[in-house]
Amino acid sequence: MSLISGRHPLVIVVGSGGVGKTTLAAAAGVRSAHEGRDTLVMTFDPSMRLKQALGVGEEAKLREVPVTLDAPGTLHASLLDARQTFDRLIERYAPDDEARRRVLENRFYQHLSGSLGGILEYMAVERLFEVAADGRYGQVILDTPPARQALDFLEAPARIVGFLESGALRVALKPWFDEKGRLKATSRWGPLGRRAERFLDGVVGMELLRDMAEFFQAFAPLFEGFRQRANQVEELLRSPKTQFVLVAGPGEERIPDTLFFARRLEEAGYHLGPIVVNRVHPRFALEGAPPPSADPCRPNGWELLSWAGERDRRGLIELAKLLSREQPVVDLPLLPDEPTGLASLDALGRQLETRVAEWERYVSRTS
Amino acid sequence: MNPIEQLSRRQLLVVTGKGGVGKTVVSAVLGRAVAAAGRRTLVVEVDPRESLHQMMGTPPSGGAIVAAGPRLWVQNLKPRQVLDQVVRENLKLELLTRRVLESPVYQQFATGAPGLKELAILGHALRLLRGLREPGTPEIDTVVLDAPATGHGVALLTAPSLTAEVITQGPFARMAGELAELIDDSQRCGIVVVTMAEEMPMEEARELRASLNRQVKRDPELLVVNGLYPPSPPMPAPGERENGLVSLWRRRRQLNERELGSLGESWPGPRVELPQLPLDRGPALLATLGRCFAESARSLARETP
Repeated sequence: MSLISGRHPLVIVVGSGGVGKTTLAAAAGVRSAHEGRDTLVMTFDPSMRLKQALGVGEEAKLREVPVTLDAPGTLHASLLDARQTFDRLIERYAPDDEARRRVLENRFYQHLSGSLGGILEYMAVERLFEVAADGRYGQVILDTPPARQALDFLEAPARIVGFLESGALRVALKPWFDEKGRLKATSRWGPLGRRAERFLDGVVGMELLRDMAEFFQAFAPLFEGFRQRANQVEELLRSPKTQFVLVAGPGEERIPDTLFFARRLEEAGYHLGPIVVNRVHPRFALEGAPPPSADPCRPNGWELLSWAGERDRRGLIELAKLLSREQPVVDLPLLPDEPTGLASLDALGRQLETRVAEWERYVSRTS
Repeated sequence: MNPIEQLSRRQLLVVTGKGGVGKTVVSAVLGRAVAAAGRRTLVVEVDPRESLHQMMGTPPSGGAIVAAGPRLWVQNLKPRQVLDQVVRENLKLELLTRRVLESPVYQQFATGAPGLKELAILGHALRLLRGLREPGTPEIDTVVLDAPATGHGVALLTAPSLTAEVITQGPFARMAGELAELIDDSQRCGIVVVTMAEEMPMEEARELRASLNRQVKRDPELLVVNGLYPPSPPMPAPGERENGLVSLWRRRRQLNERELGSLGESWPGPRVELPQLPLDRGPALLATLGRCFAESARSLARETP
C-alpha cells in the first residue's frame, strides 16, 4: 500500500473542489519520475501557478508536454479538455469531409455544453484510455474534475453503454422526419401521436429535435466502436492495478463529503487507496496567547488558528472512527505557502510518501 | 452606495464561485440581509447534499420551501422535479404523461439535454417571482440562488440565451426568452461572485468575470472575498524566534494580501471582505458573519459615495 510505488500504473486522484487535488497529483508525478518511472500527469484545469511550476502552457491541451526535471524517469504533463478531445475524435473517425463537416457544424453539437448521456465526460476518459493503452508511460496520474463532476466522469463509460442499450439511441436514429421535415412516426399513433407531436413541438421545438436527430445520424458510425471502448475503459478503471486516491478537506464539516465519495467508489468496485486529508491546521501550544478579541469580526490569529487546529483534529478522529480499520487515512498539514516550483512539489510528494509509510508502520504495529 | 441596499432592490441574486469558497454561507448571509431590508426572500440551494439548513438552523428542506425567519425562507431545489412538473402541466392526459416520464428518450433528454436543468432552476425562480405558485407557498420578492460552482454557474447564466437561440417556439422558448431578459437586466438580476484570497479561487473569479462579459455582456454586481486570515501580527523583534502559530498566521495572511493586491488591478467592481471566524457552521456563524458583512458593506459605501 503505497501511493506511487509502481504497483499501480494508473493512479486516479478524486475529491471535492478546492482541496488541493491537482497540486497533490503533480507532487506525486514529480516523485514518481524521481523514482525512475516515465510518468504522465493528466489534469483538468491546473492553476497558473501549477502550470508555471511544471513549465507547461496551453499547448498541453493538444499533446503531452515534457517537464524539465533532473530525474531518472521522465515527466510529462497534459491538460484534459473534453471538447477538444471530442473534436479530435470526430476529425479522426469521420469517414469523409462531408460527414465531419455535418457533425462539427451541427447546432446541437455546438451547444452540447451539458453532457448528453455523458458523452462529453466520456471523451476525457477516452483520452486516458489511449494513453494507458499506448504503454509509453510506466506511471499515469490522473487528476479529475471536482466533486460530483468526478463521479459523472467515472460513471461516463457505464452511462454511455446504458445510453446505447436503453433504446434511446435506436429511437434517435429512426428516420423521424420525412423529406419535408415533418415527423413521420407520430402519425401512426393516431390522436395520441398528434398530441405527442404538439407536445414535443411546444416543449422543445421541432427545430431542436431535427438538429438532434441529424446529430445522431451523423454520429452513428462512431457509436458501435464507442460501446466496445466503453467496456474496455470500465475494465481499466476497475482493475486492481488502478488505484484511487481520495483527497479531502479538513474539519468535521467535510466528513459527509468524504464518506460519500469513499462509499461511492467502493460500491462501484474501484480500488480505493489512501484517503488524504489535506491542509490540516496544526495544533500549537498556547503559552503566551493574548486574550480573545472583543470584536467578533476581528478575531486574533491565536483564537482562529487554535480553534481551526482543534476542529481539524476532531475531524480526523471522527473520520477514522467512521472508516474501517484497513482504510488508510493520512493527513497533510496546511502549508505556509502553496508550492511554486518543482522543488516544493517534490518536498510535498516526499511528505505524502512519509505519511503513508508512517500509517503502514502504525497499522502493522497495532495489528 | 451600500451594496446591500443595491442588491435588495433586485428580484434575483445569483451567487456563484469556485467550489469550496463558501457560496452557501454567503448566500445565507445575503438572504438574511435582504430579508432584513424588508423583502420577502427565498434562498434556493441546488445541491443534492443539503447544507443550507444546517447554517440556518432549520429542518432539511427535502425539496419543500421552509420558513427560516421573518420574511425568510429556504429551499433545496431538485431540478428534475421542476422539469417533470413542466411535463405534467403541458400534458394533461395522465396516460401520456406517464409514458413520457418513463420513456428512455425523456430520461436521457432530461439528464443530458444542454441547458435544460439550468432552465428549470431559473424557471422555478421566475414562476415564484411572478406569483405563479402552488397554494400554501409564500409570496416572494427576491430569490437568492446559491448556484452551482463556477463552470456550471456560467452555464446557468448563459442557458436561457443559448436555449432561446436553439428553441424558437412554444412555452420553453417563451420561458427561455423571458429568463434571458431577466438575466440581461441588471436592475432586476444581480450576480454575486464569491472567492477566497488564494490563487485558484481568484483566478476562477477573474475567468468567471471574463466569461460573463463575453457571454452575457455584463459585470457581476459584487465580489465577496471570504475566509480571510486576521491582519498580520507585529514582526518579531530581531533575534527572537517566532512561535509556529504566529508564523503560519503571518504567512497565510501575506498570501491573502498578495492575492487581494493583485485583484485591485483586475477587478474594478465593488467588493466586500469577510473574515475567517472561529465558529462552527450554524446560526451563530451566520449571525456574526452577517454583522461583518454589513460592516464591510458600510465601509465600502463610505469609500465609494
